[in-house]
Amino acid sequence: MLVQTLVIAATSSAYMMLLALGFTLIFGLMRIVNFAHGEFVMLGAYAVYVLTVPCGLNYFVAIPLAGLFAGLCGVVAERLIFRPFLGDELGAMITSLALAIILQGAVMIVFTVDQLSVPRPISGVLHFGSIYLPNDQIFVAGSSFLVVIAFHFLVHHTRLGLALRAVAQDTEIARAYGMAPSVILPLAFGIGCVLAGLAGALTVPLYAVNPFMGEAALLKAFIVVVLGGLGSLPGAMIAAVILGTTDAVISVWFSATMATLVSFVLVVIILIVKPSGLWGRA
Amino acid sequence: MRLDISGLSVRYGAVEALNDVSIAAREGCITAIIGANGAGKSTLLKAIAGLVDVSDGQISANGVALVDKPPEARHALGIALSPEGRRLFPELTVVENLMTGAIRRTDRDRVAADITAVYDLFPRLKERRASLGRNLSGGEQQMCAIGRALLSRPSLLLLDEPSLGLAPKVVGEMAHAIERVARSGVTIVLVEQNSRLALSISSDAFLLEAGRMIMSGPAKDMLADKRLQDVYLGT
Repeated sequence: MLVQTLVIAATSSAYMMLLALGFTLIFGLMRIVNFAHGEFVMLGAYAVYVLTVPCGLNYFVAIPLAGLFAGLCGVVAERLIFRPFLGDELGAMITSLALAIILQGAVMIVFTVDQLSVPRPISGVLHFGSIYLPNDQIFVAGSSFLVVIAFHFLVHHTRLGLALRAVAQDTEIARAYGMAPSVILPLAFGIGCVLAGLAGALTVPLYAVNPFMGEAALLKAFIVVVLGGLGSLPGAMIAAVILGTTDAVISVWFSATMATLVSFVLVVIILIVKPSGLWGRA
Repeated sequence: MRLDISGLSVRYGAVEALNDVSIAAREGCITAIIGANGAGKSTLLKAIAGLVDVSDGQISANGVALVDKPPEARHALGIALSPEGRRLFPELTVVENLMTGAIRRTDRDRVAADITAVYDLFPRLKERRASLGRNLSGGEQQMCAIGRALLSRPSLLLLDEPSLGLAPKVVGEMAHAIERVARSGVTIVLVEQNSRLALSISSDAFLLEAGRMIMSGPAKDMLADKRLQDVYLGT
Protein backbone atom coordinates (compact mmCIF):
# COMPACT_ATOMS: atom_id res chain seq x y z
CA MET A 1 0.00 0.00 0.00
CA LEU A 2 2.81 2.42 0.87
CA VAL A 3 4.73 1.83 -2.36
CA GLN A 4 1.52 2.13 -4.37
CA THR A 5 0.72 5.42 -2.65
CA LEU A 6 4.24 6.62 -3.44
CA VAL A 7 3.82 5.80 -7.11
CA ILE A 8 0.52 7.65 -7.23
CA ALA A 9 2.16 10.57 -5.40
CA ALA A 10 5.02 10.59 -7.90
CA THR A 11 2.64 10.51 -10.86
CA SER A 12 0.55 13.27 -9.42
CA SER A 13 3.60 15.42 -8.53
CA ALA A 14 5.19 14.98 -11.94
CA TYR A 15 1.94 15.88 -13.71
CA MET A 16 1.54 18.98 -11.54
CA MET A 17 5.13 19.99 -12.28
CA LEU A 18 4.49 19.82 -16.00
CA LEU A 19 1.38 21.95 -15.64
CA ALA A 20 2.90 24.46 -13.26
CA LEU A 21 6.37 24.97 -14.79
CA GLY A 22 4.93 26.23 -18.07
CA PHE A 23 2.41 28.45 -16.29
CA THR A 24 5.03 30.00 -13.99
CA LEU A 25 7.59 30.40 -16.81
CA ILE A 26 5.11 32.45 -18.80
CA PHE A 27 4.21 34.54 -15.77
CA GLY A 28 7.87 35.03 -14.82
CA LEU A 29 8.82 36.45 -18.20
CA MET A 30 5.70 38.22 -19.34
CA ARG A 31 3.65 38.85 -16.19
CA ILE A 32 0.77 37.11 -17.95
CA VAL A 33 -1.51 35.06 -15.70
CA ASN A 34 -2.43 32.73 -18.53
CA PHE A 35 -5.96 31.53 -17.90
CA ALA A 36 -5.78 29.67 -21.22
CA HIS A 37 -2.98 27.42 -19.93
CA GLY A 38 -5.41 24.55 -19.36
CA GLU A 39 -6.62 24.87 -22.95
CA PHE A 40 -3.10 24.14 -24.18
CA VAL A 41 -3.26 20.94 -22.10
CA MET A 42 -6.53 20.19 -23.88
CA LEU A 43 -4.97 20.94 -27.29
CA GLY A 44 -2.23 18.41 -26.50
CA ALA A 45 -4.83 15.80 -25.56
CA TYR A 46 -6.94 16.40 -28.69
CA ALA A 47 -3.81 16.31 -30.84
CA VAL A 48 -3.05 12.85 -29.49
CA TYR A 49 -6.64 11.77 -30.14
CA VAL A 50 -6.56 13.01 -33.76
CA LEU A 51 -3.14 11.54 -34.45
CA THR A 52 -3.85 8.11 -32.96
CA VAL A 53 -7.54 7.42 -33.58
CA PRO A 54 -8.46 8.84 -37.01
CA CYS A 55 -4.86 8.94 -38.32
CA GLY A 56 -3.82 5.67 -36.74
CA LEU A 57 -0.40 6.88 -35.60
CA ASN A 58 1.46 5.15 -32.78
CA TYR A 59 0.69 6.73 -29.38
CA PHE A 60 4.36 7.14 -28.45
CA VAL A 61 5.07 9.00 -31.69
CA ALA A 62 1.98 11.15 -31.14
CA ILE A 63 3.15 12.41 -27.70
CA PRO A 64 6.06 14.64 -28.87
CA LEU A 65 4.04 15.78 -31.91
CA ALA A 66 1.19 16.83 -29.63
CA GLY A 67 3.63 18.77 -27.41
CA LEU A 68 5.05 20.48 -30.47
CA PHE A 69 1.58 21.32 -31.76
CA ALA A 70 0.58 22.93 -28.46
CA GLY A 71 3.89 24.83 -28.47
CA LEU A 72 3.33 26.18 -31.99
CA CYS A 73 -0.17 27.28 -31.01
CA GLY A 74 1.47 29.05 -28.05
CA VAL A 75 3.96 30.89 -30.26
CA VAL A 76 1.16 32.02 -32.57
CA ALA A 77 -1.01 33.10 -29.62
CA GLU A 78 1.86 35.12 -28.15
CA ARG A 79 2.61 36.92 -31.41
CA LEU A 80 -0.99 37.55 -32.47
CA ILE A 81 -2.87 37.98 -29.22
CA PHE A 82 -0.65 38.71 -26.23
CA ARG A 83 1.98 40.92 -27.83
CA PRO A 84 -0.06 44.15 -27.70
CA PHE A 85 -0.65 43.59 -23.98
CA LEU A 86 3.00 43.39 -22.96
CA GLY A 87 3.31 45.26 -19.66
CA ASP A 88 -0.46 45.39 -19.21
CA GLU A 89 -1.12 42.60 -16.68
CA LEU A 90 -4.86 43.11 -16.43
CA GLY A 91 -5.34 43.34 -20.21
CA ALA A 92 -3.27 40.20 -20.77
CA MET A 93 -5.22 38.31 -18.10
CA ILE A 94 -8.58 39.20 -19.64
CA THR A 95 -7.21 38.33 -23.08
CA SER A 96 -6.11 34.93 -21.79
CA LEU A 97 -9.63 34.31 -20.44
CA ALA A 98 -11.04 35.18 -23.86
CA LEU A 99 -8.54 32.86 -25.53
CA ALA A 100 -9.58 30.03 -23.18
CA ILE A 101 -13.24 30.49 -24.12
CA ILE A 102 -12.41 30.74 -27.84
CA LEU A 103 -10.33 27.55 -27.79
CA GLN A 104 -13.03 25.66 -25.88
CA GLY A 105 -15.63 26.85 -28.35
CA ALA A 106 -13.54 25.96 -31.37
CA VAL A 107 -12.93 22.45 -30.05
CA MET A 108 -16.67 22.04 -29.29
CA ILE A 109 -17.54 23.00 -32.87
CA VAL A 110 -15.09 20.52 -34.36
CA PHE A 111 -15.36 17.61 -31.92
CA THR A 112 -18.73 18.25 -30.13
CA VAL A 113 -18.90 18.05 -26.35
CA ASP A 114 -18.76 14.25 -26.28
CA GLN A 115 -16.10 12.49 -24.27
CA LEU A 116 -13.51 10.94 -26.53
CA SER A 117 -11.07 8.28 -25.49
CA VAL A 118 -7.81 6.93 -26.75
CA PRO A 119 -7.15 3.19 -26.46
CA ARG A 120 -4.78 2.42 -23.61
CA PRO A 121 -1.32 1.96 -25.15
CA ILE A 122 0.06 0.36 -22.03
CA SER A 123 -1.65 -2.25 -19.96
CA GLY A 124 -0.82 -4.70 -17.24
CA VAL A 125 0.71 -4.29 -13.83
CA LEU A 126 4.07 -4.85 -12.31
CA HIS A 127 3.90 -6.83 -9.14
CA PHE A 128 6.49 -7.51 -6.55
CA GLY A 129 5.06 -9.76 -3.85
CA SER A 130 1.98 -8.01 -2.58
CA ILE A 131 2.72 -4.72 -4.40
CA TYR A 132 0.85 -3.98 -7.62
CA LEU A 133 1.90 -1.04 -9.80
CA PRO A 134 -0.06 -0.19 -12.95
CA ASN A 135 2.32 0.15 -15.91
CA ASP A 136 0.53 3.11 -17.43
CA GLN A 137 0.94 5.17 -14.26
CA ILE A 138 4.61 4.30 -14.09
CA PHE A 139 4.92 5.45 -17.70
CA VAL A 140 3.21 8.79 -17.00
CA ALA A 141 5.31 9.43 -13.89
CA GLY A 142 8.55 8.41 -15.61
CA SER A 143 8.03 10.40 -18.80
CA SER A 144 6.83 13.46 -16.91
CA PHE A 145 9.97 13.42 -14.79
CA LEU A 146 12.09 13.04 -17.92
CA VAL A 147 10.40 16.10 -19.44
CA VAL A 148 10.93 18.06 -16.23
CA ILE A 149 14.63 17.08 -16.20
CA ALA A 150 14.97 18.09 -19.86
CA PHE A 151 13.31 21.43 -19.07
CA HIS A 152 15.63 21.94 -16.09
CA PHE A 153 18.61 21.25 -18.34
CA LEU A 154 17.32 23.73 -20.91
CA VAL A 155 16.87 26.46 -18.30
CA HIS A 156 20.16 25.95 -16.46
CA HIS A 157 22.63 24.69 -19.04
CA THR A 158 21.85 26.33 -22.36
CA ARG A 159 22.19 29.84 -23.76
CA LEU A 160 18.46 30.03 -24.36
CA GLY A 161 17.85 29.13 -20.71
CA LEU A 162 20.28 31.82 -19.56
CA ALA A 163 18.45 34.33 -21.76
CA LEU A 164 15.07 33.21 -20.36
CA ARG A 165 16.25 33.75 -16.79
CA ALA A 166 17.95 37.06 -17.60
CA VAL A 167 14.86 38.46 -19.34
CA ALA A 168 12.68 37.34 -16.42
CA GLN A 169 14.95 39.16 -13.94
CA ASP A 170 15.62 42.42 -15.78
CA THR A 171 14.12 42.80 -19.26
CA GLU A 172 15.68 46.19 -19.89
CA ILE A 173 19.26 45.17 -19.16
CA ALA A 174 18.74 41.86 -20.99
CA ARG A 175 17.81 43.91 -24.06
CA ALA A 176 20.91 46.05 -23.65
CA TYR A 177 22.89 42.81 -23.88
CA GLY A 178 21.21 41.70 -27.08
CA MET A 179 18.39 39.48 -25.81
CA ALA A 180 15.51 40.66 -27.97
CA PRO A 181 12.04 40.26 -26.39
CA SER A 182 10.58 39.68 -29.87
CA VAL A 183 12.56 36.40 -29.98
CA ILE A 184 12.70 35.35 -26.34
CA LEU A 185 9.07 35.97 -25.37
CA PRO A 186 7.35 33.85 -28.07
CA LEU A 187 9.90 31.10 -27.42
CA ALA A 188 9.17 31.19 -23.70
CA PHE A 189 5.45 31.15 -24.29
CA GLY A 190 5.89 28.28 -26.75
CA ILE A 191 8.01 26.26 -24.31
CA GLY A 192 5.42 26.77 -21.58
CA CYS A 193 2.74 25.50 -23.95
CA VAL A 194 4.88 22.52 -25.01
CA LEU A 195 4.96 21.49 -21.34
CA ALA A 196 1.18 21.94 -21.08
CA GLY A 197 0.61 20.00 -24.31
CA LEU A 198 2.82 17.16 -23.10
CA ALA A 199 0.91 17.03 -19.82
CA GLY A 200 -2.29 16.61 -21.82
CA ALA A 201 -0.77 14.08 -24.21
CA LEU A 202 0.74 11.92 -21.48
CA THR A 203 -2.44 11.66 -19.45
CA VAL A 204 -4.85 11.11 -22.36
CA PRO A 205 -5.03 7.34 -21.82
CA LEU A 206 -5.78 7.82 -18.11
CA TYR A 207 -8.50 10.43 -18.43
CA ALA A 208 -11.10 10.99 -21.13
CA VAL A 209 -10.77 13.92 -23.54
CA ASN A 210 -13.39 16.68 -23.54
CA PRO A 211 -13.46 20.42 -24.32
CA PHE A 212 -13.61 21.37 -20.62
CA MET A 213 -10.71 19.28 -19.37
CA GLY A 214 -8.50 22.39 -19.32
CA GLU A 215 -10.35 23.87 -16.36
CA ALA A 216 -9.20 21.23 -13.88
CA ALA A 217 -5.68 21.42 -15.30
CA LEU A 218 -5.59 25.20 -14.92
CA LEU A 219 -6.80 24.95 -11.33
CA LYS A 220 -4.00 22.49 -10.53
CA ALA A 221 -1.37 24.67 -12.22
CA PHE A 222 -2.75 27.70 -10.44
CA ILE A 223 -2.65 26.40 -6.87
CA VAL A 224 0.82 24.92 -7.38
CA VAL A 225 2.18 28.20 -8.72
CA VAL A 226 0.47 30.32 -6.08
CA LEU A 227 1.87 28.06 -3.37
CA GLY A 228 5.36 28.06 -4.87
CA GLY A 229 5.45 31.77 -5.59
CA LEU A 230 4.29 33.24 -8.91
CA GLY A 231 7.07 33.20 -11.47
CA SER A 232 9.41 30.92 -9.50
CA LEU A 233 10.57 27.70 -11.19
CA PRO A 234 12.07 26.02 -8.08
CA GLY A 235 8.98 27.10 -6.13
CA ALA A 236 6.73 25.41 -8.69
CA MET A 237 8.69 22.16 -8.45
CA ILE A 238 8.63 22.03 -4.67
CA ALA A 239 4.97 23.02 -4.46
CA ALA A 240 4.10 20.34 -7.05
CA VAL A 241 5.73 17.69 -4.86
CA ILE A 242 3.95 18.96 -1.72
CA LEU A 243 0.53 19.14 -3.38
CA GLY A 244 0.99 16.00 -5.47
CA THR A 245 1.92 13.97 -2.41
CA THR A 246 -0.83 15.43 -0.23
CA ASP A 247 -3.35 14.78 -2.97
CA ALA A 248 -2.21 11.19 -3.53
CA VAL A 249 -1.99 10.21 0.13
CA ILE A 250 -5.39 11.60 1.04
CA SER A 251 -7.03 10.23 -2.13
CA VAL A 252 -5.74 6.75 -1.34
CA TRP A 253 -6.50 6.73 2.36
CA PHE A 254 -9.66 8.83 2.40
CA SER A 255 -11.24 10.22 -0.77
CA ALA A 256 -10.49 12.43 -3.75
CA THR A 257 -12.93 15.08 -2.52
CA MET A 258 -11.18 15.18 0.84
CA ALA A 259 -7.83 15.45 -0.99
CA THR A 260 -8.92 18.53 -2.96
CA LEU A 261 -10.30 20.11 0.19
CA VAL A 262 -7.12 19.53 2.17
CA SER A 263 -4.92 20.78 -0.71
CA PHE A 264 -6.74 24.09 -0.83
CA VAL A 265 -6.81 24.48 2.96
CA LEU A 266 -3.05 23.84 2.93
CA VAL A 267 -2.52 26.53 0.30
CA VAL A 268 -4.64 29.03 2.22
CA ILE A 269 -2.72 28.36 5.44
CA ILE A 270 0.68 28.74 3.75
CA LEU A 271 -0.42 31.94 2.04
CA ILE A 272 -1.59 33.41 5.35
CA VAL A 273 1.86 32.73 6.80
CA LYS A 274 3.79 33.69 3.65
CA PRO A 275 1.67 35.67 1.20
CA SER A 276 4.25 35.66 -1.62
CA GLY A 277 4.31 31.85 -1.69
CA LEU A 278 7.05 29.48 -0.56
CA TRP A 279 9.68 30.69 -3.01
CA GLY A 280 8.30 34.08 -3.96
CA ARG A 281 9.80 37.45 -3.19
CA ALA A 282 7.32 39.99 -1.97
CA MET B 1 34.18 53.28 -32.27
CA ARG B 2 33.55 56.98 -32.71
CA LEU B 3 30.52 58.40 -30.96
CA ASP B 4 28.82 61.65 -31.99
CA ILE B 5 25.91 63.20 -30.16
CA SER B 6 24.32 66.42 -31.32
CA GLY B 7 21.50 68.46 -29.87
CA LEU B 8 20.33 65.63 -27.64
CA SER B 9 17.28 66.24 -25.44
CA VAL B 10 15.58 63.73 -23.15
CA ARG B 11 12.43 64.38 -21.16
CA TYR B 12 10.89 62.44 -18.30
CA GLY B 13 7.34 63.78 -18.47
CA ALA B 14 7.62 67.52 -17.83
CA VAL B 15 11.18 67.25 -16.52
CA GLU B 16 13.93 67.96 -19.00
CA ALA B 17 16.77 65.60 -18.07
CA LEU B 18 18.99 66.56 -21.00
CA ASN B 19 18.74 69.73 -23.03
CA ASP B 20 20.54 70.22 -26.35
CA VAL B 21 23.64 68.27 -25.39
CA SER B 22 26.38 67.73 -27.98
CA ILE B 23 29.28 65.42 -27.24
CA ALA B 24 31.86 63.48 -29.21
CA ALA B 25 33.98 60.55 -28.06
CA ARG B 26 37.10 59.66 -30.04
CA GLU B 27 37.96 56.12 -30.96
CA GLY B 28 40.09 54.30 -28.39
CA CYS B 29 40.00 57.22 -25.93
CA ILE B 30 38.41 57.70 -22.54
CA THR B 31 35.87 60.51 -22.48
CA ALA B 32 34.74 61.71 -19.07
CA ILE B 33 31.28 63.06 -18.35
CA ILE B 34 31.35 64.88 -15.03
CA GLY B 35 28.82 66.88 -13.11
CA ALA B 36 26.78 66.93 -9.92
CA ASN B 37 24.08 64.48 -8.92
CA GLY B 38 21.06 64.82 -11.18
CA ALA B 39 22.95 66.67 -13.91
CA GLY B 40 21.81 64.08 -16.46
CA LYS B 41 24.98 61.97 -16.72
CA SER B 42 23.27 58.59 -16.29
CA THR B 43 20.45 59.62 -18.61
CA LEU B 44 23.05 60.39 -21.27
CA LEU B 45 24.48 56.86 -21.06
CA LYS B 46 21.00 55.34 -21.10
CA ALA B 47 20.15 57.37 -24.20
CA ILE B 48 23.26 56.02 -25.94
CA ALA B 49 22.38 52.43 -24.99
CA GLY B 50 18.75 52.93 -26.01
CA LEU B 51 17.14 52.58 -22.59
CA VAL B 52 15.39 55.97 -22.66
CA ASP B 53 13.47 57.68 -25.42
CA VAL B 54 15.11 60.66 -27.01
CA SER B 55 12.85 63.66 -27.60
CA ASP B 56 15.24 65.48 -29.91
CA GLY B 57 18.72 65.24 -31.39
CA GLN B 58 20.98 62.68 -32.99
CA ILE B 59 23.28 59.94 -31.73
CA SER B 60 25.59 58.15 -34.11
CA ALA B 61 28.22 55.47 -33.74
CA ASN B 62 30.80 55.31 -36.54
CA GLY B 63 28.31 57.30 -38.58
CA VAL B 64 25.38 54.91 -37.99
CA ALA B 65 22.30 56.69 -36.60
CA LEU B 66 21.19 55.05 -33.33
CA VAL B 67 18.12 56.95 -32.18
CA ASP B 68 15.55 54.72 -33.88
CA LYS B 69 17.31 51.46 -33.03
CA PRO B 70 16.19 49.28 -30.10
CA PRO B 71 18.78 48.47 -27.37
CA GLU B 72 19.47 44.98 -28.75
CA ALA B 73 20.41 46.43 -32.15
CA ARG B 74 22.78 48.93 -30.51
CA HIS B 75 24.37 46.08 -28.58
CA ALA B 76 24.87 44.25 -31.86
CA LEU B 77 26.85 47.27 -33.13
CA GLY B 78 29.24 46.87 -30.20
CA ILE B 79 27.83 49.10 -27.47
CA ALA B 80 27.86 47.80 -23.88
CA LEU B 81 26.60 49.55 -20.76
CA SER B 82 27.61 49.03 -17.16
CA PRO B 83 24.54 50.82 -15.83
CA GLU B 84 23.69 53.03 -12.89
CA GLY B 85 23.01 50.80 -9.87
CA ARG B 86 24.93 47.96 -11.59
CA ARG B 87 21.71 46.08 -12.40
CA LEU B 88 23.19 42.60 -12.17
CA PHE B 89 20.72 39.79 -12.75
CA PRO B 90 20.01 39.14 -9.06
CA GLU B 91 19.23 35.42 -9.30
CA LEU B 92 22.13 34.56 -11.60
CA THR B 93 25.57 33.65 -10.30
CA VAL B 94 28.64 35.76 -11.04
CA VAL B 95 29.69 33.41 -13.86
CA GLU B 96 26.19 33.44 -15.33
CA ASN B 97 26.04 37.23 -15.12
CA LEU B 98 29.34 37.40 -16.97
CA MET B 99 28.05 34.95 -19.56
CA THR B 100 24.98 37.08 -20.27
CA GLY B 101 27.43 39.66 -21.61
CA ALA B 102 28.72 37.10 -24.11
CA ILE B 103 25.35 35.60 -24.96
CA ARG B 104 25.26 36.91 -28.53
CA ARG B 105 28.88 36.20 -29.36
CA THR B 106 29.61 33.71 -32.10
CA ASP B 107 33.21 32.97 -31.07
CA ARG B 108 32.05 30.79 -28.20
CA ASP B 109 35.36 29.01 -27.75
CA ARG B 110 36.99 32.30 -26.72
CA VAL B 111 34.45 33.21 -24.05
CA ALA B 112 36.10 31.03 -21.41
CA ALA B 113 39.44 32.77 -21.99
CA ASP B 114 37.73 36.16 -21.68
CA ILE B 115 36.11 35.13 -18.39
CA THR B 116 39.59 34.20 -17.14
CA ALA B 117 40.81 37.63 -18.28
CA VAL B 118 38.03 39.31 -16.25
CA TYR B 119 39.08 37.22 -13.22
CA ASP B 120 42.65 38.44 -13.74
CA LEU B 121 41.35 42.00 -13.79
CA PHE B 122 39.18 41.47 -10.70
CA PRO B 123 40.49 38.46 -8.71
CA ARG B 124 37.72 38.92 -6.13
CA LEU B 125 35.16 37.87 -8.76
CA LYS B 126 36.84 34.52 -9.16
CA GLU B 127 36.40 33.78 -5.45
CA ARG B 128 32.75 34.81 -5.68
CA ARG B 129 32.01 33.14 -9.04
CA ALA B 130 29.29 30.82 -7.67
CA SER B 131 27.52 33.53 -5.62
CA LEU B 132 24.24 35.03 -6.74
CA GLY B 133 24.27 38.61 -7.98
CA ARG B 134 22.07 39.80 -5.14
CA ASN B 135 24.46 38.45 -2.52
CA LEU B 136 27.48 40.44 -3.70
CA SER B 137 28.81 43.55 -1.95
CA GLY B 138 28.51 46.87 -3.79
CA GLY B 139 32.10 46.73 -4.98
CA GLU B 140 31.80 43.13 -6.16
CA GLN B 141 28.62 44.01 -8.05
CA GLN B 142 30.48 46.87 -9.70
CA MET B 143 33.27 44.57 -10.86
CA CYS B 144 30.78 42.00 -12.11
CA ALA B 145 28.79 44.62 -14.03
CA ILE B 146 31.96 45.90 -15.72
CA GLY B 147 33.06 42.32 -16.40
CA ARG B 148 29.68 41.57 -17.98
CA ALA B 149 30.10 44.59 -20.26
CA LEU B 150 33.66 43.56 -21.19
CA LEU B 151 32.52 40.04 -22.05
CA SER B 152 30.45 41.41 -24.90
CA ARG B 153 33.78 42.56 -26.44
CA PRO B 154 32.43 46.08 -26.95
CA SER B 155 33.77 48.73 -29.29
CA LEU B 156 32.11 51.36 -27.12
CA LEU B 157 31.98 50.83 -23.36
CA LEU B 158 29.66 53.00 -21.26
CA LEU B 159 30.62 53.04 -17.59
CA ASP B 160 28.30 54.60 -15.03
CA GLU B 161 30.07 55.46 -11.76
CA PRO B 162 32.55 52.57 -11.77
CA SER B 163 34.21 53.85 -8.57
CA LEU B 164 30.96 53.87 -6.59
CA GLY B 165 30.97 51.47 -3.66
CA LEU B 166 34.61 50.56 -4.02
CA ALA B 167 37.11 50.71 -1.17
CA PRO B 168 39.59 53.59 -1.72
CA LYS B 169 42.39 51.09 -2.31
CA VAL B 170 40.40 49.37 -5.04
CA VAL B 171 39.44 52.64 -6.78
CA GLY B 172 43.00 53.01 -8.09
CA GLU B 173 43.00 49.43 -9.38
CA MET B 174 39.69 50.04 -11.12
CA ALA B 175 41.14 53.17 -12.79
CA HIS B 176 44.10 51.16 -14.06
CA ALA B 177 41.77 48.45 -15.32
CA ILE B 178 39.76 51.05 -17.26
CA GLU B 179 42.93 52.54 -18.77
CA ARG B 180 44.06 49.07 -19.83
CA VAL B 181 40.72 48.40 -21.56
CA ALA B 182 40.98 51.72 -23.42
CA ARG B 183 44.55 50.90 -24.54
CA SER B 184 43.20 47.73 -26.15
CA GLY B 185 41.26 49.98 -28.55
CA VAL B 186 37.87 50.25 -26.82
CA THR B 187 36.23 53.67 -26.77
CA ILE B 188 35.08 54.45 -23.24
CA VAL B 189 32.55 56.98 -22.02
CA LEU B 190 33.04 57.34 -18.30
CA VAL B 191 30.45 58.94 -16.04
CA GLU B 192 31.81 59.80 -12.62
CA GLN B 193 30.99 61.74 -9.50
CA ASN B 194 34.66 61.39 -8.60
CA SER B 195 35.65 64.09 -11.10
CA ARG B 196 39.32 64.18 -10.20
CA LEU B 197 39.68 60.45 -10.83
CA ALA B 198 37.73 60.63 -14.09
CA LEU B 199 39.71 63.59 -15.44
CA SER B 200 43.04 62.06 -14.49
CA ILE B 201 42.52 59.02 -16.74
CA SER B 202 40.53 60.65 -19.57
CA SER B 203 41.56 62.39 -22.79
CA ASP B 204 38.50 64.58 -23.19
CA ALA B 205 35.87 65.73 -20.74
CA PHE B 206 32.42 67.28 -20.73
CA LEU B 207 30.78 68.98 -17.78
CA LEU B 208 27.02 68.70 -17.39
CA GLU B 209 24.93 70.93 -15.19
CA ALA B 210 21.15 70.61 -14.88
CA GLY B 211 20.89 68.75 -18.17
CA ARG B 212 23.07 71.13 -20.19
CA MET B 213 26.63 70.77 -21.34
CA ILE B 214 28.36 73.84 -19.94
CA MET B 215 32.04 73.09 -20.49
CA SER B 216 34.20 70.80 -22.57
CA GLY B 217 37.81 70.32 -23.51
CA PRO B 218 40.90 68.22 -22.98
CA ALA B 219 40.70 66.50 -19.58
CA LYS B 220 44.05 67.87 -18.41
CA ASP B 221 42.94 71.47 -19.08
CA MET B 222 39.77 70.92 -17.11
CA LEU B 223 41.72 69.37 -14.27
CA ALA B 224 43.74 72.60 -14.12
CA ASP B 225 40.74 74.92 -14.47
CA LYS B 226 40.34 77.23 -11.50
CA ARG B 227 36.53 77.52 -11.54
CA LEU B 228 36.13 73.78 -11.92
CA GLN B 229 38.51 73.15 -9.05
CA ASP B 230 36.44 75.32 -6.74
CA VAL B 231 33.09 73.72 -7.56
CA TYR B 232 33.71 70.15 -8.68
CA LEU B 233 37.17 69.11 -7.66
CA GLY B 234 36.90 70.21 -4.07
CA THR B 235 40.33 71.73 -3.62
